[in-house]
Amino acid sequence: MTGEPIEAVKNGVQVMISSLRQNPQAIETAFISIITFDSEAKQVVPLTDLASFQMVDIRATGTTSLGEALKLVSTCIDNEVTKTTAEQKGDWKPLVFIMTDGIPTDDWQIGLEEFRKRKTAFTVACAAGSAADSALLKLITENVVSLDTADSQSIAKFFTWVSASIGVSSTKVEDGGQEVTGMGELPPPPAELNIVT
Amino acid sequence: MSQSSTITFFNEPGKTVKSVPSITTPGKNYQYVDNGEPMRGGMKDVYFGPDKSYVVAFYRDKQDYNSRERLKKLVTQYYDSFFNREGGEYYKELYCWPTDMVETSDGKVGLVVPTYNKNFFFKQGYATSEGIKGKEKQGLWFASAKFRHPQFALRLDESELGNWLSYFQICVKIARGVKRLHAAGLAHSDLSYKNVLIDPVSKSATIIDIDGLVVPGLYPPDVIGTADFIAPEVLATKHLALRDPTRKHANRTTDLHALPVMIYLYLLYRHPLKGGKVNSLDTEQDDLLSMGEKALFIEHPTDHSNQPKMDQVSKWTLPWADVAKLPYTITGPYLKALFDQAFVTGLHDPNQRPNADQWEQALLKTTDLMQPCSNPKCQQKWFVFDNTTSPTCPFCGTPVKGTLPVLDLYFEFKPTVWRPENHRLMVYHNQYLFQWHVNRHVVRNEKLTDEQKIPVGYFTFHHNKWVFVNQKLTSLKDLTEDKEIPVNTMVDITDGKKLLLSTEEGGRVVVITMANK
Ligand SMILES: Nc1ncnc2c1ncn2[C@@H]1O[C@H](COP(=O)(O)OP(=O)(O)O)[C@@H](O)[C@H]1O
Ligand SMILES: [Mg+2]
Repeated sequence: MTGEPIEAVKNGVQVMISSLRQNPQAIETAFISIITFDSEAKQVVPLTDLASFQMVDIRATGTTSLGEALKLVSTCIDNEVTKTTAEQKGDWKPLVFIMTDGIPTDDWQIGLEEFRKRKTAFTVACAAGSAADSALLKLITENVVSLDTADSQSIAKFFTWVSASIGVSSTKVEDGGQEVTGMGELPPPPAELNIVT
Repeated sequence: MSQSSTITFFNEPGKTVKSVPSITTPGKNYQYVDNGEPMRGGMKDVYFGPDKSYVVAFYRDKQDYNSRERLKKLVTQYYDSFFNREGGEYYKELYCWPTDMVETSDGKVGLVVPTYNKNFFFKQGYATSEGIKGKEKQGLWFASAKFRHPQFALRLDESELGNWLSYFQICVKIARGVKRLHAAGLAHSDLSYKNVLIDPVSKSATIIDIDGLVVPGLYPPDVIGTADFIAPEVLATKHLALRDPTRKHANRTTDLHALPVMIYLYLLYRHPLKGGKVNSLDTEQDDLLSMGEKALFIEHPTDHSNQPKMDQVSKWTLPWADVAKLPYTITGPYLKALFDQAFVTGLHDPNQRPNADQWEQALLKTTDLMQPCSNPKCQQKWFVFDNTTSPTCPFCGTPVKGTLPVLDLYFEFKPTVWRPENHRLMVYHNQYLFQWHVNRHVVRNEKLTDEQKIPVGYFTFHHNKWVFVNQKLTSLKDLTEDKEIPVNTMVDITDGKKLLLSTEEGGRVVVITMANK
């Protein structure tokens, strides 16, 4: 990702953080980490609470090491998400948002195998622009969002949507489902996004 | 005519004023501004009217027959019975009640709701940035210890926080709002800090999201509630099918769980059920059990297993997370008794939960036990007298200086036999006495007349002694000295003295004890 799309992602993250910082539920509960992947996968922001989160420069050029990224997110989950023990309450399952504008250039299947062993509340993959392969992302998660063009507007919309999905809402009766703790289901996507089903 | 009834016209680019007809008053239309980015809740998209005096809130989902009938009743029959009768004005403050119902040509149902009062939007917000200036004051900002921690990066400005007494007044208003709903046979079903806006500055509270109201037996509830406020029995049975007869739904008694949770949160800035006990090694399952089937009060008087673990709590939640330092007993004896009833006896036994009226009365009586803290830097400014001989402020540790008159109220049980009323008034400099202290037939609630809100006298520390200045009591008598105290004179307040406040039917006797001698 270069040029306009990467700038838009940086902007998107920043807007998301400032919008989450206006949401007391999010400040109370959410921690954020950022992993970038190009020729390698790097955790550029370790899991940090919203109040102390500091934006860093995000760079992603050239290749697309999606497999490495999936491996790294798996080890980060192991190391940073507190597990419940008999003595101490743990963290909720993480939400994972993957955004890519290209085709993986490494052995993504090995990474995916690792990632599958981790439990997430949900994983959303976003195919930004026509070069991304949403069919492949479908193998990682059912929730794939595709942006027709990776321009700043649609990327901004995606981040708005991500922010909205991190928050508490009243639990509907029909749900009867598992979530009680706020990280509920995804809100309906804005019209400009296409959900791949 | 196949023309759409939704008229659309443009005035500025990107901003469209639309119009939608009322379904209760034929011919009436409401305009709203659609800029493509409505405010979004869990169920509705919300648009301002052109002058921002009201909003139109559209349900994203189609509403079925039941729901439409329920909404129609809320904006007509219930609206009238709440507001278009004597005393109705008072309740307008307590709720943000929809005034009308609309429907677009394509069948989208919406509600017309007055815009939240401007004191429910932050004037200042954060202490160190503009981040939330102008945003809604949803309750969680004030129910969490973090946002009032003097070192937390995203703390609220001191000017937004009010003092401890403000939260008693706020809780009284919430309790009154719930009381009135229940009196009408309604249940809110989703009381939470999201659905009650509060303003510690003006000491007000308003219940929003009225559209989820349940009429028991008549209409099924829409939601089971918001995490943190859902009653244990509802959580414990939520896996059952919707129509399973053993499944528990939101109703009046679940409101009576949510209400004390809210009161506890606003007075102690911690959740009454979120402690250190682990009920399952699966985090999500643990959450469900800890708030549902296995819910246990963190300050249970005998079972201490759910007390917060001090080595595990975030430093930003201190000192409030420390139940040893700030136990719930600092809220005074009346509230302690009700918290026990709500979180010990009634936690898993819905019918034992205190009702809203009991909460209102206990909160009000507790304000009679409050003392201003003499430390100008004290964050809370007020505290409840702890019934000890040498009281100190539990928040900053400042001891009370000088003597403290304590007045115990008695009523005439039968001629010449007076009984204590379990109601005590703590005196402080320049404190007022009111009709509701003088006569037991005057009940301190929203029905008080303006006349009844005028003080009848005041206490003051004058020339090194405590006195009561009588402004309006026509039959005040010092029983100890056997002396009438006419209006515009004063009487010394001394240890052991008895005063008859009124000779009228219901008039009380107060017995004075001097504390902190
Ligand atoms: N009366 C109102 N005045 C101002 N803003 C409002 C009003 N009603 C709703 N809103 C805004 O719209 C949002 C969603 O409204 P809400 O009634 O909570 O909908 P939902 O039932 O979908 O949760 C609120 O959080 C608030 O920002
Ligand atoms: Mg809402």
